[in-house]
Amino acid sequence: MTFKISVDAGSRFTDVIISNFGGKARIGKTITNDANPFAAVCAALDEVGAQIGIPKTELLRNCDYFIYGTSYAHDAIVSRSVAKTAFVTTEGFPDILLLREGGKSGPFDFSQDFPDPFIPRRHTFEIGGRISAEGDELYPFDGFGARALARTLRDREYEAVAICLLWSVADPSHELRFAEILKELAPDLPFTLSHQLLPIVREYRRASATALDASLKPLMRRHLVGLEEELRAVGFAGQFLVNSAAGGCLPAQAAIEKPIYTVRSGPAMAPIAGRIFSQMEGMGSDIIVCDLGGTSLDVGLVKGGRITVSRDVWVGPPHTGDLLGISAVDVRSVGAGTGAIAWVDDGGLLRIGPQSAGSDPGPACYGHGGDAPTVFDAAAMLGYVPADDFLGGKMALDLDAAHRAIGTLATRLGVEVHDAARNIMMLASNQMACAIHDVAISQGMDPRESTIVGGGAIGLHIMDIAEELGCSRVIMPRAASVLSAAGMQYADIVVEEAASLLMRTDSFDLRAANNLLADLHHRLSVFAAGLTGYDLSEASIEYMVEARYAGQIWELETSLPHVPLDDESSIAALVASFHAAHQRAFAMQDEGSAVEVVNWKARLVVPLGNGINPPTAVEPRRDPASPLSRSCHFGSKAVAAIVYGTGDLVPGLVLRGPAIVEEPAMTILVPPDMSVTVSEAGNFLLSPVG
Amino acid sequence: MTEFDPCLTAIIANRIESIIREMTQTLMRATRSTVINSARDFSCSICTADDQLLMASDGLPIHLFGSHLQTRTMTEFHAGDIAEGDCYLHNDPYNGNTHAADHSFLVPVFFEGEHLFTAVAKAHQADIGNAEPTNYMAGAADIYEEGALIFPAVRVQRNYRTQEDIVRMCRARIRVPDQWYGDFLAAISSARSGERRLKELCARYGLTTIKAFSRAWLDYSERRMEQVIRGLPAAILRNSGTHDPFGTLLPKGIPLTVGIDIDPEAARITLDLTDNIDNVNCGFNASEATATSAVLTGVFNSIDSTVPRNSGAFRRITVLLREGSVAGKPAFPHSCSVATTNVADRLVNIVQSAFAGIGDGWGLAEGGVGQGAGLAVVSGTDPRAKGRPYVNQMFTAGAGGPGCATADGWPTYTLPVVAGLPLRDAVEVDELKYPIAFRSLRILPGTGGAGRFRGAPAIEVAYGPREISFEAHWPCDGTYYPANGVRGGQNGLRARHFRVKEGGERDELPNIVSIRLQPGEYVIGSHASGGGYGNPLERDPARVLHDVLEGYEDAGRAHDVYGVVLTGSVHDGDLAIDLQRTDELRERHAGGSGAAGPDQDGSVPQDVLRSI
Repeated sequence: MTFKISVDAGSRFTDVIISNFGGKARIGKTITNDANPFAAVCAALDEVGAQIGIPKTELLRNCDYFIYGTSYAHDAIVSRSVAKTAFVTTEGFPDILLLREGGKSGPFDFSQDFPDPFIPRRHTFEIGGRISAEGDELYPFDGFGARALARTLRDREYEAVAICLLWSVADPSHELRFAEILKELAPDLPFTLSHQLLPIVREYRRASATALDASLKPLMRRHLVGLEEELRAVGFAGQFLVNSAAGGCLPAQAAIEKPIYTVRSGPAMAPIAGRIFSQMEGMGSDIIVCDLGGTSLDVGLVKGGRITVSRDVWVGPPHTGDLLGISAVDVRSVGAGTGAIAWVDDGGLLRIGPQSAGSDPGPACYGHGGDAPTVFDAAAMLGYVPADDFLGGKMALDLDAAHRAIGTLATRLGVEVHDAARNIMMLASNQMACAIHDVAISQGMDPRESTIVGGGAIGLHIMDIAEELGCSRVIMPRAASVLSAAGMQYADIVVEEAASLLMRTDSFDLRAANNLLADLHHRLSVFAAGLTGYDLSEASIEYMVEARYAGQIWELETSLPHVPLDDESSIAALVASFHAAHQRAFAMQDEGSAVEVVNWKARLVVPLGNGINPPTAVEPRRDPASPLSRSCHFGSKAVAAIVYGTGDLVPGLVLRGPAIVEEPAMTILVPPDMSVTVSEAGNFLLSPVG
Repeated sequence: MTEFDPCLTAIIANRIESIIREMTQTLMRATRSTVINSARDFSCSICTADDQLLMASDGLPIHLFGSHLQTRTMTEFHAGDIAEGDCYLHNDPYNGNTHAADHSFLVPVFFEGEHLFTAVAKAHQADIGNAEPTNYMAGAADIYEEGALIFPAVRVQRNYRTQEDIVRMCRARIRVPDQWYGDFLAAISSARSGERRLKELCARYGLTTIKAFSRAWLDYSERRMEQVIRGLPAAILRNSGTHDPFGTLLPKGIPLTVGIDIDPEAARITLDLTDNIDNVNCGFNASEATATSAVLTGVFNSIDSTVPRNSGAFRRITVLLREGSVAGKPAFPHSCSVATTNVADRLVNIVQSAFAGIGDGWGLAEGGVGQGAGLAVVSGTDPRAKGRPYVNQMFTAGAGGPGCATADGWPTYTLPVVAGLPLRDAVEVDELKYPIAFRSLRILPGTGGAGRFRGAPAIEVAYGPREISFEAHWPCDGTYYPANGVRGGQNGLRARHFRVKEGGERDELPNIVSIRLQPGEYVIGSHASGGGYGNPLERDPARVLHDVLEGYEDAGRAHDVYGVVLTGSVHDGDLAIDLQRTDELRERHAGGSGAAGPDQDGSVPQDVLRSI
């Protein structure tokens, strides 16, 4: 028996799924309490191994694919605990990382400092020489200054160097010359060249990606090499893969070379899971994936079967955080969560968040000293979560504390305490629905024509959200509590190459376009040739362009149907493909306008084998003596809701509300006029009764 | 909903906010001009049928007030003839619009045959057919010389179909007509998306609930404002400022005065603009919308930023305007071409810095003003594209932000009326779009107005033609009168611009610039910086250390201006504060005549402006 193991190592939880080819899958969720990645992986494997009676060393020895995701790079960026990195840029333009692309949310709020640049200004260095937009050399490269700078970087013990010169995408020679000098004078210093990592126009995006990538190189190398060595030492002999923010996975060596792809790679897996579950249930290819945690709601989209990617993925808040710049799975984090605090403002309006009780002290009902009413307190008070058996009995909830916290709020609102709790749940669901709507609309997707796939704690709200969005197709997968690890089980190897060349469809240069596309193909072929031990028979390369109507500023991605481009008809096909993309995104197209291609992309996809069964959950741990119904408030009166545990949930079963589905790490609330069907694959399909 | 429902009101408000965000997305992403999708020079709002502003996007502060004046024009001019499927174009500054360059599209929203709301999408155009290729006609003696086509709530769609003759009129007059038409379509689809979603909202909750909501939301907003004002100290303030001189037209500039009466007991603020001079014979006159938006912005900048900004909250603020005043209601045909920036920027500053006068912790310093070289409108032809003409405003850099009671100024602030909202153009994108080359774009150290919280430093920008000349226009302010510091904070530096000739010789430029640059020449300038808040000697030494480490300040200014003694060096990585000597130095400064002031004339010395 051989296994495929996916491990999603977050800073709070480590999720693991073990599947084998033909048998059942197993899910584990453990609290991450070891900084050593190998120890955290072992703890998670021990937990799942115990369920099936196989020790972790045997699991690893029989593992074909070990797919690993970690929030390590992301956390290092947020806490600025990256390598000491120098930023090298064109003379006259030292403030690219400081000024970013401008913008601010909240024009009337002056209470916060402007955020520091990702690389401090004192670690920023300018070198002489300048390339023009057309690739001409306006000023020659200052080789003398560059050599002096390389020595300075070496002597001041920098650990990494990010090099981003203006218009290196039009002519990379200055960046390459600096790289040569660096290799000669400081051979052990890792560096990233902007034109190689991210050949797109717009200096901030390129510089930000380059800086993030370089600054992660030393630590991600240590992290991944170290983990792999330890896995090998206990007998693991399979392929070691790492999640990629591009929406797939990468052989570990490729991730070490471009560590920026490991940033936000965990959330990037959720849409992959969403796509698979929707396919599994025959629910179409337009999907909204929402994963609710304690402090944030992550929303990702799948449009026509394609996972939505964007170059606008930020670490931290938009405009003032740090831009990834790479084409990454577009998962937006919205401030919401079960820990959000409800309050009444001085105009008498009910508000939820942005303050959160977090995990410490947490909601009032945790009994850790929190006295602010949270969304979770409301859920507990209404009977939606098992007070005496929370987290499979690991924790008892203090309902009196929840009652007290919400009681204060109820007095302020002038309503009965259960009504106050109900209002909190309704408003929380409404805020999440609005946030999901905004994300969908910003990508031109209509929630009413989409399928929602839920993850995390969203089962408490998902029916309300679906109702509010007018969405009739809703799936809560069995693996909802470990959605990213589930996505990893289905991830392909995905590698992208891109190049920048401005070209208008009314003055198209076929030869130049084809040369460029051939070069992208070549680069991916070289990469594929290095993939030893993988089945390449199903591998494919697809081509996309990022284009806009002449005069627009922001590009849309659209596929390039025929490559190589042979004649006028393939240009016409490109134009038609763009019109359709524009129509989908903005409900309008401008037939009379030329299309301007800005970036060209090619994506290599290597499937890692199919036939993986959908994961199913562990056996129930519920006390069989516990009551099968519980008093819950959906309206103003308490009603008896039937509580279903894992053992009750056979395929085909239809549960009518009021009901609650309880699994060890997941709750689904089924209000009175709703119902849930357990699918063949074991997922929960939710719909209004009627 | 018979009485105020704290939950349902919040839920419907969230949904309307979401509708406005959808309008915003639609406009921003489908538009053609950078001024809209990048500089964010647009706004979306929803007014009630009785012409109250219900809710607006978090757009530019200068668009804060006025869309309900515009819907009033529509309901008055077309009384009895407003129908579902209509759309009205409004850019008339004498009837509630900001200035002629902002084309506003008004779509009345009907439900069950009743006009309930009006969805408004307002967007700054790249060109509106003015006499010169700029939307900021500083020198225009009147609206005729300005040359803009004026649309006082003109119907451009009936039955969802466009009145093509109006489109043809515009196309016949507006430069780069395709770009204008693209923006015309984008703005209408934005307002229409608002219409669609509002009708769905009405269908879901019913007419009665929605009408009750509108009243409840405005009342709630009023209560929020009431609470805020009750928390302010009573004060009668009067503050003045001056817009720069402008050649022979305005040799003394434009003096401006605002009277502010904060009455916590009555929970009312009165902003009195009546004591200002008559309209001037050039394009700097404010419109009713911009004069009001500007002084309201000064108030909203100084209070809890979560108070809703709508007609409900506005009920607690009285703005007194005089007909025919430069900062009041403009008298036709005086030009308001530049109404959204210069005088308005000064008014924002006057009000927010006046608030600093009520006590420590209140208000803000003045923000840097002036649309300098980094915000120039450039025009010419592009030899790389067979001589295709171009005209557009660049957004590469602007003035520095004000120091505040809890934070330093933002370098991306740009202007008081935009407050950091615009996205910046990438240098590479501007070089791709226009045949020009940038020589530098950087922060100038030691230039922020010093203070306990300092103003943002000045930004230098330099650029010139590649192979063919181009025109650049900018109506700068802040070249004579800097952004003032408050509560002991120092003033920001003034803006300065030079034309550098082929031989390297520098000619200083005036504040209002209209030039043609030849190949070999370039312009170099520094935008104004922000004023400081509070005494620099009270600045946290850790902040001063950080400023020196990061090159916002140098050790000399740390010592002379901030009274902080540092040891070690930035390069050796051992720069540190000598706390004891800092205490001593600060005591000496405080006992003497205070810290050293900013450099003598308050502007960036010419030799600081380097270029490569």
